[in-house]
Amino acid sequence: MSAQAGTVPRRNISLDSRLRATWLSEWIKFRSVRSGPLNLLVTAAIMLFGAWLLDSQSRGGWAAMSPNARATFDPVATTFQAIALAQLFIGALGVMTVTGEYSSGLIRGTFLATPQRIQVLAMKALVFALVVWAWCTALSFPAFFLGQSLLSSPAEHVGIGDPGVLTAVFGAGLYLTCIGLLGLFIGVLVRRTPAALAALFGLVAVLPAALALLPSKIGSQLGEYLPGNAGGQAWHLLPGGAYTLGHWEGLGVLAAYVAAAALAAFALIKRRDA
Amino acid sequence: MAHTMAALSKSSAGHTRPTGYRRARAAFASEWIKLRSLRSMLVLPLLAVVVCIGLADLVCSNYAANWKHLDAVRKASFVPFDTNIGFVVIGAIFLGMLGALVVTNEYGRGLIRTTLMATPQRGLVLAAKAVLTGLVAFTVSAVICFTAILTGQALLAGGHLPHVSLGDPGVLSHLLGAVCYMTAVALIGLFGAVLLRGSAAAAISGVFAVLFVLPVLTSGLPDDFLKRDLVPYLPVNLGGALYFTHPGHGPGVAGTGAAVVATAAWILVLGVAAALSLRGHDA
Repeated sequence: MSAQAGTVPRRNISLDSRLRATWLSEWIKFRSVRSGPLNLLVTAAIMLFGAWLLDSQSRGGWAAMSPNARATFDPVATTFQAIALAQLFIGALGVMTVTGEYSSGLIRGTFLATPQRIQVLAMKALVFALVVWAWCTALSFPAFFLGQSLLSSPAEHVGIGDPGVLTAVFGAGLYLTCIGLLGLFIGVLVRRTPAALAALFGLVAVLPAALALLPSKIGSQLGEYLPGNAGGQAWHLLPGGAYTLGHWEGLGVLAAYVAAAALAAFALIKRRDA
Repeated sequence: MAHTMAALSKSSAGHTRPTGYRRARAAFASEWIKLRSLRSMLVLPLLAVVVCIGLADLVCSNYAANWKHLDAVRKASFVPFDTNIGFVVIGAIFLGMLGALVVTNEYGRGLIRTTLMATPQRGLVLAAKAVLTGLVAFTVSAVICFTAILTGQALLAGGHLPHVSLGDPGVLSHLLGAVCYMTAVALIGLFGAVLLRGSAAAAISGVFAVLFVLPVLTSGLPDDFLKRDLVPYLPVNLGGALYFTHPGHGPGVAGTGAAVVATAAWILVLGVAAALSLRGHDA
């Protein structure tokens, strides 16, 4: 009887306090894994160093640039070009947030404590998205101002108030958050670190290179809708080359990939053994 | 009793001094067992064969199908061998991952501690791993490159496009360049994984960063000393210099001789650094 008395009130735990407990446990796991803070610090170093290197190099080489190169020069995209590297670290962080828990076996403890698996995954994604978005957005402003201060006249530079610029600066943080979430959900689908990393990087970095080898229009048309290329429009000021997607359309395409991966992850995490 | 002790001391004395040859043979045998029983050793080469040959044939058949729609400039600049061999840019990633996984799998399971206990000569362990992985990578790359070129050129020939055959000047040597570059990437992945102390996440990310992200970042650099003196010696650009018949002559491309030397230097420097790191660190 007494054992039953102990179990009865458990059923009446409010959704609110249950969500708060899951939130707390996901936050502890996120911040106590060494790769978390480390990856975020490396991302910061890459973004700032990339802005410094590429913009000071562009400023130095401006005189030698061809008129064509000057016309297509995108001061915002050049500043944020290091995102191409930073996304590997944010993506890897997303993957390892999940696969690290699977490989250490902690996931069994997590699901034992919170059998509501959907809730676990939702809170995991929420904690990850909030931290990464806040950090990357906070980074893109100093990177932007550092880059633009280096691109002094005659090199082309823009101010934060110019049309489209603020959107692109916020786009950098949103893009990285989406790539990280894509990695997180792929991690749930694949559950092994090397395979999940290869799948994410293959989708983001390798497929565009493979399509670029094709001579027909299909290559460039399909390429425009790959997650990396489409989402990348978010932090470009000028639509690059054949690309016709704008900031928000591009980000929307990337978000659709994330949503598809999330849907599959939520469906599978309930069905599979941990 | 005395007899047993004598036998024991005799046998243990015999064990303390195996000849260098026997020790090396044992190390190679144990590395080979680990290598061939690894599941990635089956999955990755198969994936590489399918993706690389598929991509090369897709590109060639795509050119053959679109040939009459291409303008005169693109027709004039069409190089049949280079178009066909372009898959190496993608294919190298499989070899890099193969090399990295040989190491990270052993660290991930903790097997590395047993390995180093059995063979405390850590340099020998690394050498055996590198030689065997190199041989496997060379064989896989050779199969991929020759099949891709033979089928791709057949597709081009079928569409009445310009094409080359194995006997044409420069074809075999650049094909060998592609095979050697893919093998080199496998060794770079292996040594890089040892330097990263067997972390799978770091090693796989590193392979992708070196092969796919560095080229994107350096493409934004203007034409100054960085681009002229450093960028050509990144592994990706060395590869281009080795396997393209027309790699271009602007900044960013090393000569063939320089590319061979620089690729060998990458492997040598990384190999020595990996050996030192393996000797100096706890596993």
